[in-house]
Amino acid sequence: MNANNQHSKLQLKNAANAALASILNLTLLPVIGFIALYLIYKKTTPNNIDHYHAVLGMKINIIAAFVLFVVSGLMILLGGFNSPWTWVYVISYFTIVHTAFIVIALWALVRSWSGDKLKSNQ
Amino acid sequence: MKYESQGIAKMYFIAAIGLFVGQILFGVTLGLQYVMGDFLFPAIPFNVARMVHTNLLIVWLLFGFMGSAYYLVPEESERELYAPWLAKLMFWVFLAAGVLTILGYLLVPYATLAEMTMNHLLPTMGREFLEQPTITKIGIVIVVLAFLFNIGMTILTGKKTVITLVLITGLIGLAVFFLFAFYVPDNLVLDKYFWWFVVHLWVEGVWELIMASLLAYVLIKVTGVDREVIEKWLYIIIAMALISGLLGTGHHFFWIGTPDYWQWVGSIFSALEPIPFFMMTLFAFNVVNKRRRDHPNKAAVLWALGTAVMAFLGAGVWGFLHTLAPVNYYTHGTQITAAHGHMAFYGAYVMVVLTMISYSMPIMRGQKAANERAQVLEMWSFWLMTVSMVFITLFLTGAGVLQVYLQRYSETPLPFMVVQDKIEIFYWLREVAGLVFLIGLLLYVYSFFAKGKEVEDIGAAVTS
Repeated sequence: MNANNQHSKLQLKNAANAALASILNLTLLPVIGFIALYLIYKKTTPNNIDHYHAVLGMKINIIAAFVLFVVSGLMILLGGFNSPWTWVYVISYFTIVHTAFIVIALWALVRSWSGDKLKSNQ
Repeated sequence: MKYESQGIAKMYFIAAIGLFVGQILFGVTLGLQYVMGDFLFPAIPFNVARMVHTNLLIVWLLFGFMGSAYYLVPEESERELYAPWLAKLMFWVFLAAGVLTILGYLLVPYATLAEMTMNHLLPTMGREFLEQPTITKIGIVIVVLAFLFNIGMTILTGKKTVITLVLITGLIGLAVFFLFAFYVPDNLVLDKYFWWFVVHLWVEGVWELIMASLLAYVLIKVTGVDREVIEKWLYIIIAMALISGLLGTGHHFFWIGTPDYWQWVGSIFSALEPIPFFMMTLFAFNVVNKRRRDHPNKAAVLWALGTAVMAFLGAGVWGFLHTLAPVNYYTHGTQITAAHGHMAFYGAYVMVVLTMISYSMPIMRGQKAANERAQVLEMWSFWLMTVSMVFITLFLTGAGVLQVYLQRYSETPLPFMVVQDKIEIFYWLREVAGLVFLIGLLLYVYSFFAKGKEVEDIGAAVTS
Protein backbone atom coordinates (compact mmCIF):
# COMPACT_ATOMS: atom_id res chain seq x y z
CA MET A 1 0.00 0.00 0.00
CA ASN A 2 2.61 2.54 0.95
CA ALA A 3 5.80 3.64 -0.66
CA ASN A 4 7.82 3.98 2.52
CA ASN A 5 10.66 1.80 1.25
CA GLN A 6 11.45 4.10 -1.66
CA HIS A 7 12.04 7.19 0.49
CA SER A 8 14.60 8.07 3.14
CA LYS A 9 13.48 8.72 6.71
CA LEU A 10 14.40 12.39 6.36
CA GLN A 11 12.28 12.76 3.23
CA LEU A 12 9.32 11.14 4.94
CA LYS A 13 9.76 13.37 7.96
CA ASN A 14 9.95 16.47 5.79
CA ALA A 15 6.94 15.38 3.77
CA ALA A 16 4.89 14.87 6.96
CA ASN A 17 6.07 18.22 8.35
CA ALA A 18 5.15 19.97 5.12
CA ALA A 19 1.66 18.47 5.14
CA LEU A 20 1.27 19.39 8.82
CA ALA A 21 2.38 22.97 8.16
CA SER A 22 -0.17 23.11 5.35
CA ILE A 23 -3.00 22.13 7.73
CA LEU A 24 -1.76 24.51 10.41
CA ASN A 25 -1.81 27.36 7.91
CA LEU A 26 -5.42 26.49 7.07
CA THR A 27 -6.50 26.25 10.71
CA LEU A 28 -4.64 27.39 13.83
CA LEU A 29 -1.60 29.24 12.48
CA PRO A 30 -2.35 31.14 9.28
CA VAL A 31 0.72 32.84 7.72
CA ILE A 32 3.07 31.26 10.31
CA GLY A 33 2.13 27.85 8.92
CA PHE A 34 2.84 29.04 5.40
CA ILE A 35 6.25 30.41 6.37
CA ALA A 36 7.09 27.04 7.95
CA LEU A 37 5.89 25.32 4.79
CA TYR A 38 8.09 27.55 2.64
CA LEU A 39 11.13 26.86 4.83
CA ILE A 40 10.55 23.11 4.48
CA TYR A 41 10.16 23.55 0.72
CA LYS A 42 13.56 25.28 0.57
CA LYS A 43 15.20 22.23 2.14
CA THR A 44 13.75 19.76 -0.36
CA THR A 45 15.06 18.46 -3.67
CA PRO A 46 12.83 18.18 -6.76
CA ASN A 47 11.37 14.74 -7.56
CA ASN A 48 11.48 13.65 -3.92
CA ILE A 49 8.35 12.95 -1.89
CA ASP A 50 9.03 15.79 0.56
CA HIS A 51 9.31 18.24 -2.35
CA TYR A 52 6.04 16.91 -3.73
CA HIS A 53 4.20 17.45 -0.42
CA ALA A 54 5.75 20.87 0.16
CA VAL A 55 4.65 22.00 -3.32
CA LEU A 56 1.24 20.39 -2.86
CA GLY A 57 0.79 22.15 0.48
CA MET A 58 1.72 25.51 -1.03
CA LYS A 59 -0.64 24.95 -3.96
CA ILE A 60 -3.51 24.00 -1.63
CA ASN A 61 -2.93 27.04 0.55
CA ILE A 62 -2.48 29.54 -2.28
CA ILE A 63 -5.63 28.29 -4.03
CA ALA A 64 -7.46 28.31 -0.67
CA ALA A 65 -6.35 31.87 0.02
CA PHE A 66 -7.57 32.94 -3.39
CA VAL A 67 -10.95 31.24 -3.35
CA LEU A 68 -11.59 32.14 0.28
CA PHE A 69 -10.37 35.72 0.53
CA VAL A 70 -10.58 36.99 -3.03
CA VAL A 71 -13.99 35.48 -3.77
CA SER A 72 -15.35 36.48 -0.34
CA GLY A 73 -13.88 39.95 -0.84
CA LEU A 74 -15.58 40.23 -4.21
CA MET A 75 -18.88 39.13 -2.65
CA ILE A 76 -18.57 41.88 -0.04
CA LEU A 77 -17.49 44.42 -2.64
CA LEU A 78 -20.31 43.64 -5.03
CA GLY A 79 -22.99 42.86 -2.45
CA GLY A 80 -22.21 45.72 -0.07
CA PHE A 81 -20.86 45.49 3.49
CA ASN A 82 -24.18 46.49 5.04
CA SER A 83 -26.37 44.08 3.11
CA PRO A 84 -27.56 41.08 5.14
CA TRP A 85 -27.64 38.97 1.97
CA THR A 86 -23.90 39.55 1.47
CA TRP A 87 -23.25 37.88 4.81
CA VAL A 88 -25.62 35.02 4.04
CA TYR A 89 -23.48 34.17 1.00
CA VAL A 90 -20.08 34.97 2.51
CA ILE A 91 -20.53 32.99 5.76
CA SER A 92 -22.08 29.93 4.09
CA TYR A 93 -19.52 29.96 1.27
CA PHE A 94 -16.51 30.57 3.48
CA THR A 95 -17.43 27.85 5.99
CA ILE A 96 -18.09 25.07 3.50
CA VAL A 97 -15.17 25.88 1.16
CA HIS A 98 -12.74 26.32 4.05
CA THR A 99 -13.76 22.91 5.42
CA ALA A 100 -13.31 21.32 2.00
CA PHE A 101 -9.70 22.56 1.89
CA ILE A 102 -9.06 21.28 5.42
CA VAL A 103 -10.34 17.83 4.45
CA ILE A 104 -8.12 17.77 1.34
CA ALA A 105 -5.13 18.83 3.46
CA LEU A 106 -5.98 16.09 5.98
CA TRP A 107 -5.91 13.46 3.24
CA ALA A 108 -2.59 14.90 2.03
CA LEU A 109 -1.20 14.56 5.58
CA VAL A 110 -2.24 10.92 5.78
CA ARG A 111 -0.71 10.22 2.37
CA SER A 112 2.54 11.93 3.39
CA TRP A 113 2.81 9.66 6.45
CA SER A 114 2.86 6.64 4.19
CA GLY A 115 5.18 8.30 1.66
CA ASP A 116 2.49 8.43 -1.01
CA LYS A 117 1.35 11.12 -3.38
CA LEU A 118 -2.16 12.53 -3.09
CA LYS A 119 -3.56 10.11 -5.67
CA SER A 120 -2.44 6.47 -5.90
CA ASN A 121 -1.76 6.61 -9.64
CA GLN A 122 0.36 9.79 -9.64
CA MET B 1 -21.24 -14.26 12.33
CA LYS B 2 -19.00 -15.82 14.97
CA TYR B 3 -21.57 -15.97 17.79
CA GLU B 4 -25.24 -16.78 17.44
CA SER B 5 -26.33 -14.17 19.97
CA GLN B 6 -24.91 -11.41 17.77
CA GLY B 7 -28.01 -11.97 15.64
CA ILE B 8 -30.11 -10.20 18.27
CA ALA B 9 -28.81 -6.95 16.82
CA LYS B 10 -30.95 -7.53 13.74
CA MET B 11 -34.26 -6.84 15.48
CA TYR B 12 -32.82 -3.67 17.04
CA PHE B 13 -31.57 -2.46 13.67
CA ILE B 14 -34.90 -3.15 11.94
CA ALA B 15 -36.73 -1.17 14.64
CA ALA B 16 -34.16 1.61 14.37
CA ILE B 17 -34.62 1.93 10.61
CA GLY B 18 -38.42 1.86 10.96
CA LEU B 19 -38.35 4.66 13.52
CA PHE B 20 -35.82 6.56 11.38
CA VAL B 21 -38.33 6.56 8.51
CA GLY B 22 -40.96 7.88 10.95
CA GLN B 23 -38.59 10.61 12.12
CA ILE B 24 -37.95 11.82 8.58
CA LEU B 25 -41.67 11.73 7.66
CA PHE B 26 -42.32 14.05 10.60
CA GLY B 27 -39.28 16.10 9.55
CA VAL B 28 -40.68 16.84 6.09
CA THR B 29 -44.08 17.53 7.68
CA LEU B 30 -42.44 20.05 10.00
CA GLY B 31 -40.55 21.58 7.12
CA LEU B 32 -43.83 22.20 5.35
CA GLN B 33 -45.43 23.60 8.50
CA TYR B 34 -42.66 26.25 8.57
CA VAL B 35 -44.06 27.65 5.33
CA MET B 36 -47.70 26.48 5.54
CA GLY B 37 -48.47 27.03 9.18
CA ASP B 38 -51.85 25.26 9.16
CA PHE B 39 -50.70 22.15 7.30
CA LEU B 40 -52.24 19.15 9.12
CA PHE B 41 -53.55 21.49 11.84
CA PRO B 42 -55.19 20.69 14.24
CA ALA B 43 -54.53 16.96 13.78
CA ILE B 44 -50.74 17.33 14.11
CA PRO B 45 -49.77 20.80 15.38
CA PHE B 46 -46.21 22.03 14.89
CA ASN B 47 -45.21 21.56 18.54
CA VAL B 48 -46.37 17.93 18.49
CA ALA B 49 -44.71 17.17 15.15
CA ARG B 50 -41.46 18.66 16.43
CA MET B 51 -41.63 16.62 19.63
CA VAL B 52 -42.21 13.42 17.63
CA HIS B 53 -39.38 14.30 15.20
CA THR B 54 -36.80 14.82 17.95
CA ASN B 55 -38.00 12.02 20.25
CA LEU B 56 -38.02 9.50 17.40
CA LEU B 57 -34.43 10.50 16.63
CA ILE B 58 -33.34 9.83 20.20
CA VAL B 59 -35.23 6.53 20.45
CA TRP B 60 -34.02 5.11 17.13
CA LEU B 61 -30.43 6.11 17.86
CA LEU B 62 -30.70 4.31 21.20
CA PHE B 63 -32.03 1.26 19.35
CA GLY B 64 -29.07 1.62 16.99
CA PHE B 65 -26.52 1.91 19.81
CA MET B 66 -28.00 -1.08 21.62
CA GLY B 67 -28.10 -3.18 18.45
CA SER B 68 -24.52 -2.19 17.67
CA ALA B 69 -23.39 -3.15 21.17
CA TYR B 70 -25.19 -6.51 20.99
CA TYR B 71 -23.43 -7.24 17.70
CA LEU B 72 -20.00 -5.93 18.64
CA VAL B 73 -19.54 -7.05 22.25
CA PRO B 74 -19.85 -10.86 21.82
CA GLU B 75 -17.33 -10.81 19.00
CA GLU B 76 -14.88 -8.59 20.87
CA SER B 77 -15.37 -10.51 24.13
CA GLU B 78 -15.09 -13.85 22.30
CA ARG B 79 -18.16 -15.33 23.96
CA GLU B 80 -21.92 -15.46 23.56
CA LEU B 81 -24.01 -12.67 25.03
CA TYR B 82 -24.50 -13.16 28.78
CA ALA B 83 -28.33 -13.27 28.60
CA PRO B 84 -29.76 -13.27 25.04
CA TRP B 85 -33.29 -13.69 26.41
CA LEU B 86 -32.95 -10.46 28.37
CA ALA B 87 -31.87 -8.58 25.25
CA LYS B 88 -34.92 -9.90 23.38
CA LEU B 89 -37.28 -9.09 26.26
CA MET B 90 -35.91 -5.57 26.62
CA PHE B 91 -36.27 -5.00 22.90
CA TRP B 92 -40.03 -5.53 23.12
CA VAL B 93 -40.31 -3.47 26.32
CA PHE B 94 -38.42 -0.57 24.74
CA LEU B 95 -40.33 -0.79 21.47
CA ALA B 96 -43.68 -0.87 23.27
CA ALA B 97 -42.69 2.07 25.49
CA GLY B 98 -41.43 4.05 22.50
CA VAL B 99 -44.45 3.41 20.28
CA LEU B 100 -46.97 4.05 23.08
CA THR B 101 -45.23 7.32 23.94
CA ILE B 102 -45.30 8.53 20.33
CA LEU B 103 -48.96 7.51 20.03
CA GLY B 104 -49.61 9.39 23.27
CA TYR B 105 -48.06 12.55 21.78
CA LEU B 106 -50.15 12.20 18.63
CA LEU B 107 -53.52 11.11 20.03
CA VAL B 108 -53.90 13.00 23.30
CA PRO B 109 -53.22 16.64 24.25
CA TYR B 110 -49.88 16.85 26.07
CA ALA B 111 -51.49 18.07 29.32
CA THR B 112 -53.91 15.12 29.24
CA LEU B 113 -51.00 12.75 28.62
CA ALA B 114 -49.31 14.20 31.71
CA GLU B 115 -52.47 13.59 33.75
CA MET B 116 -53.00 10.09 32.36
CA THR B 117 -49.46 9.07 33.19
CA MET B 118 -49.60 10.61 36.67
CA ASN B 119 -46.84 13.09 36.03
CA HIS B 120 -47.78 14.93 39.25
CA LEU B 121 -46.31 12.10 41.35
CA LEU B 122 -42.82 12.79 39.96
CA PRO B 123 -43.01 15.72 37.53
CA THR B 124 -40.47 15.36 34.73
CA MET B 125 -42.46 16.28 31.63
CA GLY B 126 -42.38 19.47 29.58
CA ARG B 127 -38.68 19.92 28.90
CA GLU B 128 -37.41 19.99 25.32
CA PHE B 129 -36.21 16.54 24.11
CA LEU B 130 -37.16 15.08 27.52
CA GLU B 131 -40.91 15.37 26.96
CA GLN B 132 -41.49 11.65 27.62
CA PRO B 133 -43.96 10.83 30.42
CA THR B 134 -42.24 9.90 33.70
CA ILE B 135 -43.40 6.32 33.32
CA THR B 136 -41.62 6.13 29.94
CA LYS B 137 -38.48 7.58 31.48
CA ILE B 138 -38.60 4.91 34.18
CA GLY B 139 -39.03 2.35 31.39
CA ILE B 140 -35.96 3.73 29.63
CA VAL B 141 -33.95 3.43 32.85
CA ILE B 142 -35.03 -0.20 33.32
CA VAL B 143 -34.21 -1.08 29.69
CA VAL B 144 -30.83 0.67 29.84
CA LEU B 145 -29.92 -0.95 33.17
CA ALA B 146 -30.82 -4.40 31.85
CA PHE B 147 -28.85 -3.65 28.70
CA LEU B 148 -25.82 -2.47 30.69
CA PHE B 149 -26.01 -5.55 32.90
CA ASN B 150 -26.11 -7.82 29.87
CA ILE B 151 -23.32 -6.06 28.00
CA GLY B 152 -21.30 -5.51 31.18
CA MET B 153 -21.44 -9.18 32.23
CA THR B 154 -20.49 -10.27 28.71
CA ILE B 155 -17.45 -8.01 28.81
CA LEU B 156 -16.50 -8.89 32.40
CA THR B 157 -16.66 -12.64 31.77
CA GLY B 158 -15.00 -12.45 28.38
CA LYS B 159 -11.98 -10.91 26.70
CA LYS B 160 -11.53 -7.20 27.38
CA THR B 161 -10.52 -4.95 24.53
CA VAL B 162 -10.03 -1.21 24.33
CA ILE B 163 -13.06 -0.99 22.05
CA THR B 164 -15.40 -2.69 24.52
CA LEU B 165 -14.03 -0.68 27.42
CA VAL B 166 -14.54 2.61 25.62
CA LEU B 167 -17.98 1.48 24.51
CA ILE B 168 -19.09 0.45 28.01
CA THR B 169 -17.72 3.70 29.45
CA GLY B 170 -19.81 5.64 26.96
CA LEU B 171 -22.89 3.53 27.65
CA ILE B 172 -22.54 3.88 31.43
CA GLY B 173 -22.19 7.63 30.93
CA LEU B 174 -25.34 7.58 28.83
CA ALA B 175 -27.24 5.89 31.66
CA VAL B 176 -25.82 8.09 34.42
CA PHE B 177 -26.47 11.40 32.71
CA PHE B 178 -30.02 10.39 31.80
CA LEU B 179 -30.78 10.34 35.52
CA PHE B 180 -30.69 14.16 35.47
CA ALA B 181 -33.92 13.92 33.46
CA PHE B 182 -35.59 13.11 36.78
CA TYR B 183 -34.23 16.18 38.53
CA VAL B 184 -36.41 19.18 37.78
CA PRO B 185 -35.64 22.07 40.17
CA ASP B 186 -38.21 24.87 40.57
CA ASN B 187 -35.54 27.49 39.90
CA LEU B 188 -35.52 28.04 36.14
CA VAL B 189 -31.74 28.62 35.98
CA LEU B 190 -31.02 25.37 37.81
CA ASP B 191 -33.64 23.63 35.70
CA LYS B 192 -31.85 24.64 32.48
CA TYR B 193 -28.44 24.00 34.05
CA PHE B 194 -29.16 20.37 34.86
CA TRP B 195 -31.20 19.79 31.70
CA TRP B 196 -27.98 20.33 29.77
CA PHE B 197 -26.34 17.58 31.86
CA VAL B 198 -28.51 15.20 29.88
CA VAL B 199 -28.62 16.90 26.49
CA HIS B 200 -25.06 18.23 26.15
CA LEU B 201 -23.22 15.54 28.08
CA TRP B 202 -24.92 12.93 25.95
CA VAL B 203 -24.26 14.30 22.48
CA GLU B 204 -21.04 16.23 23.10
CA GLY B 205 -19.69 13.89 25.76
CA VAL B 206 -20.39 10.23 26.26
CA TRP B 207 -22.02 9.56 22.89
CA GLU B 208 -18.71 10.52 21.27
CA LEU B 209 -17.13 7.58 23.09
CA ILE B 210 -19.81 5.26 21.73
CA MET B 211 -19.32 6.68 18.25
CA ALA B 212 -15.53 6.36 18.36
CA SER B 213 -15.65 2.75 19.54
CA LEU B 214 -18.20 1.72 16.88
CA LEU B 215 -16.19 3.43 14.16
CA ALA B 216 -12.97 1.83 15.39
CA TYR B 217 -14.60 -1.62 15.37
CA VAL B 218 -15.85 -1.30 11.78
CA LEU B 219 -12.53 0.12 10.61
CA ILE B 220 -10.62 -2.81 12.11
CA LYS B 221 -12.96 -5.20 10.32
CA VAL B 222 -12.98 -3.57 6.91
CA THR B 223 -9.31 -2.56 6.67
CA GLY B 224 -7.44 -5.32 8.48
CA VAL B 225 -5.19 -2.70 10.10
CA ASP B 226 -3.53 -3.74 13.37
CA ARG B 227 -5.76 -3.32 16.40
CA GLU B 228 -2.88 -1.67 18.31
CA VAL B 229 -2.73 1.21 15.82
CA ILE B 230 -6.45 1.83 16.07
CA GLU B 231 -6.49 1.55 19.87
CA LYS B 232 -3.83 4.25 20.24
CA TRP B 233 -5.94 6.60 18.14
CA LEU B 234 -8.99 5.71 20.19
CA TYR B 235 -7.30 6.68 23.46
CA ILE B 236 -6.31 10.10 22.14
CA ILE B 237 -9.71 10.75 20.58
CA ILE B 238 -11.71 9.92 23.69
CA ALA B 239 -9.33 11.89 25.90
CA MET B 240 -9.81 14.96 23.70
CA ALA B 241 -13.57 14.36 23.54
CA LEU B 242 -13.85 14.35 27.34
CA ILE B 243 -11.38 17.19 27.96
CA SER B 244 -13.21 19.49 25.55
CA GLY B 245 -16.75 18.15 25.89
CA LEU B 246 -17.24 18.15 29.67
CA LEU B 247 -16.36 21.79 30.33
CA GLY B 248 -17.62 22.63 26.86
CA THR B 249 -21.08 22.32 28.46
CA GLY B 250 -20.37 25.91 29.47
CA HIS B 251 -21.40 27.15 26.02
CA HIS B 252 -24.99 26.46 27.05
CA PHE B 253 -24.59 28.49 30.23
CA PHE B 254 -23.81 31.83 28.55
CA TRP B 255 -27.28 33.38 28.81
CA ILE B 256 -29.32 31.34 31.30
CA GLY B 257 -28.48 33.29 34.44
CA THR B 258 -25.27 31.52 35.49
CA PRO B 259 -22.09 33.44 36.54
CA ASP B 260 -20.10 35.32 33.88
CA TYR B 261 -17.08 33.02 34.08
CA TRP B 262 -19.02 30.46 32.07
CA GLN B 263 -18.59 32.70 29.04
CA TRP B 264 -14.81 32.17 29.26
CA VAL B 265 -14.92 28.52 30.28
CA GLY B 266 -17.58 27.67 27.71
CA SER B 267 -15.87 29.58 24.91
CA ILE B 268 -12.41 28.15 25.52
CA PHE B 269 -13.34 24.52 26.03
CA SER B 270 -15.99 24.34 23.37
CA ALA B 271 -13.55 25.92 20.91
CA LEU B 272 -11.52 22.74 21.51
CA GLU B 273 -14.49 20.50 20.72
CA PRO B 274 -13.74 20.22 16.98
CA ILE B 275 -10.39 18.58 17.84
CA PRO B 276 -11.69 15.05 18.57
CA PHE B 277 -13.77 15.17 15.38
CA PHE B 278 -10.75 16.45 13.44
CA MET B 279 -8.75 13.55 14.85
CA MET B 280 -11.49 11.10 14.01
CA THR B 281 -11.29 12.17 10.36
CA LEU B 282 -7.51 11.87 10.44
CA PHE B 283 -7.85 8.47 12.11
CA ALA B 284 -10.36 7.14 9.56
CA PHE B 285 -8.35 8.47 6.59
CA ASN B 286 -5.14 7.02 8.03
CA VAL B 287 -6.59 3.60 8.69
CA VAL B 288 -8.22 3.37 5.25
CA ASN B 289 -4.97 4.55 3.64
CA LYS B 290 -3.04 1.84 5.51
CA ARG B 291 -5.61 -0.86 4.76
CA ARG B 292 -4.25 -4.31 4.15
CA ARG B 293 -7.11 -5.44 1.98
CA ASP B 294 -10.11 -4.21 0.04
CA HIS B 295 -13.18 -5.40 1.90
CA PRO B 296 -16.04 -6.61 -0.31
CA ASN B 297 -18.45 -4.41 1.67
CA LYS B 298 -17.60 -1.13 -0.05
CA ALA B 299 -20.77 0.50 1.25
CA ALA B 300 -19.66 0.02 4.86
CA VAL B 301 -16.26 1.60 4.10
CA LEU B 302 -18.05 4.55 2.49
CA TRP B 303 -20.33 4.98 5.52
CA ALA B 304 -17.33 4.81 7.88
CA LEU B 305 -15.37 7.46 5.99
CA GLY B 306 -18.52 9.54 5.58
CA THR B 307 -19.16 9.42 9.32
CA ALA B 308 -15.74 10.84 10.11
CA VAL B 309 -15.96 13.65 7.55
CA MET B 310 -19.57 14.62 8.22
CA ALA B 311 -19.12 14.52 12.00
CA PHE B 312 -16.17 16.89 11.64
CA LEU B 313 -18.24 19.15 9.40
CA GLY B 314 -21.47 19.11 11.41
CA ALA B 315 -20.32 18.77 15.00
CA GLY B 316 -16.86 20.31 14.63
CA VAL B 317 -17.04 23.13 12.10
CA TRP B 318 -20.71 24.12 12.45
CA GLY B 319 -20.41 23.83 16.21
CA PHE B 320 -17.38 26.12 16.28
CA LEU B 321 -19.18 28.57 14.00
CA HIS B 322 -21.43 29.77 16.83
CA THR B 323 -19.77 28.56 20.00
CA LEU B 324 -17.75 31.61 21.09
CA ALA B 325 -19.72 33.77 23.52
CA PRO B 326 -19.47 37.04 21.53
CA VAL B 327 -20.82 35.25 18.43
CA ASN B 328 -23.35 33.21 20.37
CA TYR B 329 -24.72 36.43 21.87
CA TYR B 330 -26.28 37.02 18.45
CA THR B 331 -26.81 33.49 17.17
CA HIS B 332 -28.19 31.48 20.09
CA GLY B 333 -31.53 29.87 19.40
CA THR B 334 -31.58 30.91 15.72
CA GLN B 335 -31.62 28.76 12.61
CA ILE B 336 -27.80 28.59 12.90
CA THR B 337 -28.38 26.25 15.86
CA ALA B 338 -30.82 24.20 13.77
CA ALA B 339 -28.23 23.98 10.97
CA HIS B 340 -25.60 22.71 13.41
CA GLY B 341 -28.02 20.31 15.09
CA HIS B 342 -29.10 18.69 11.83
CA MET B 343 -25.66 18.08 10.41
CA ALA B 344 -24.05 17.12 13.71
CA PHE B 345 -26.68 14.49 14.55
CA TYR B 346 -26.61 13.12 11.03
CA GLY B 347 -22.82 13.14 10.67
CA ALA B 348 -21.92 11.82 14.07
CA TYR B 349 -24.68 9.51 15.23
CA VAL B 350 -27.02 8.66 12.37
CA MET B 351 -24.11 7.80 10.11
CA VAL B 352 -22.21 5.74 12.67
CA VAL B 353 -25.30 3.62 13.33
CA LEU B 354 -25.82 3.21 9.58
CA THR B 355 -22.13 2.24 9.31
CA MET B 356 -22.66 -0.52 11.87
CA ILE B 357 -25.85 -1.67 10.13
CA SER B 358 -24.14 -1.60 6.74
CA TYR B 359 -21.29 -3.75 8.02
CA SER B 360 -23.21 -6.21 10.20
CA MET B 361 -26.57 -6.68 8.49
CA PRO B 362 -25.23 -8.68 5.50
CA ILE B 363 -23.26 -10.88 7.92
CA MET B 364 -26.37 -11.49 10.02
CA ARG B 365 -28.14 -12.43 6.78
CA GLY B 366 -25.46 -15.02 6.00
CA GLN B 367 -23.36 -12.99 3.54
CA LYS B 368 -19.92 -11.38 3.76
CA ALA B 369 -21.36 -8.27 2.12
CA ALA B 370 -24.59 -7.30 0.38
CA ASN B 371 -24.88 -8.16 -3.31
CA GLU B 372 -23.47 -5.74 -5.90
CA ARG B 373 -26.79 -4.11 -6.82
CA ALA B 374 -27.77 -3.67 -3.18
CA GLN B 375 -24.43 -2.00 -2.48
CA VAL B 376 -24.79 0.33 -5.46
CA LEU B 377 -28.26 1.32 -4.24
CA GLU B 378 -26.97 1.77 -0.69
CA MET B 379 -24.14 3.98 -1.90
CA TRP B 380 -26.62 6.03 -3.92
CA SER B 381 -28.70 6.42 -0.76
CA PHE B 382 -25.53 7.50 1.08
CA TRP B 383 -24.90 10.28 -1.41
CA LEU B 384 -28.54 11.37 -1.65
CA MET B 385 -28.91 11.61 2.13
CA THR B 386 -25.49 13.14 2.73
CA VAL B 387 -25.61 15.74 -0.03
CA SER B 388 -29.18 16.71 0.87
CA MET B 389 -28.12 17.07 4.51
CA VAL B 390 -25.30 19.39 3.42
CA PHE B 391 -27.90 21.47 1.57
CA ILE B 392 -30.33 21.40 4.51
CA THR B 393 -27.49 22.73 6.64
CA LEU B 394 -26.50 25.40 4.13
CA PHE B 395 -30.09 26.61 3.72
CA LEU B 396 -30.62 26.74 7.48
CA THR B 397 -27.30 28.56 7.84
CA GLY B 398 -28.44 31.11 5.27
CA ALA B 399 -31.75 31.47 7.10
CA GLY B 400 -29.87 31.84 10.39
CA VAL B 401 -27.47 34.51 9.16
CA LEU B 402 -30.33 36.54 7.73
CA GLN B 403 -32.35 36.04 10.92
CA VAL B 404 -29.46 37.21 13.11
CA TYR B 405 -28.89 40.27 10.97
CA LEU B 406 -32.51 41.38 10.68
CA GLN B 407 -33.67 40.42 14.16
CA ARG B 408 -30.64 41.00 16.37
CA TYR B 409 -27.81 42.86 14.63
CA SER B 410 -29.61 45.55 12.67
CA GLU B 411 -29.98 49.04 14.16
CA THR B 412 -33.71 48.71 13.51
CA PRO B 413 -34.39 45.11 14.53
CA LEU B 414 -37.50 43.44 13.14
CA PRO B 415 -39.93 41.30 15.14
CA PHE B 416 -39.48 37.50 15.10
CA MET B 417 -42.49 36.68 12.90
CA VAL B 418 -41.68 39.43 10.39
CA VAL B 419 -38.21 37.95 10.02
CA GLN B 420 -39.70 34.46 9.60
CA ASP B 421 -41.57 35.76 6.54
CA LYS B 422 -38.37 37.21 5.12
CA ILE B 423 -36.45 33.93 5.41
CA GLU B 424 -39.27 31.84 3.93
CA ILE B 425 -37.33 31.10 0.74
CA PHE B 426 -34.74 29.20 2.77
CA TYR B 427 -37.46 27.12 4.40
CA TRP B 428 -38.81 26.15 0.99
CA LEU B 429 -35.34 25.18 -0.20
CA ARG B 430 -34.77 23.20 3.00
CA GLU B 431 -38.05 21.38 2.38
CA VAL B 432 -36.92 20.36 -1.12
CA ALA B 433 -33.61 19.09 0.31
CA GLY B 434 -35.59 17.26 3.01
CA LEU B 435 -37.67 15.49 0.37
CA VAL B 436 -34.48 14.40 -1.41
CA PHE B 437 -33.25 13.08 1.96
CA LEU B 438 -36.48 11.08 2.29
CA ILE B 439 -35.99 9.62 -1.20
CA GLY B 440 -32.44 8.65 -0.19
CA LEU B 441 -33.74 6.99 2.95
CA LEU B 442 -36.41 5.03 1.07
CA LEU B 443 -33.73 3.90 -1.38
CA TYR B 444 -31.65 2.81 1.62
CA VAL B 445 -34.55 0.70 2.92
CA TYR B 446 -35.13 -0.75 -0.56
CA SER B 447 -31.45 -1.73 -0.84
CA PHE B 448 -32.03 -4.44 1.78
CA PHE B 449 -34.46 -6.18 -0.56
CA ALA B 450 -32.57 -5.70 -3.84
CA LYS B 451 -31.45 -8.86 -5.59
CA GLY B 452 -28.23 -9.04 -7.58
CA LYS B 453 -24.90 -10.74 -8.20
CA GLU B 454 -23.22 -11.86 -5.01
CA VAL B 455 -19.86 -10.21 -4.32
CA GLU B 456 -16.67 -12.19 -4.01
CA ASP B 457 -14.35 -11.83 -1.05
CA ILE B 458 -11.49 -9.89 -2.55
CA GLY B 459 -9.48 -10.05 0.64
CA ALA B 460 -6.12 -9.88 -1.10
CA ALA B 461 -3.55 -7.37 0.03
CA VAL B 462 -3.76 -3.92 -1.48
CA THR B 463 -0.82 -3.20 -3.73
CA SER B 464 -1.34 0.25 -5.18
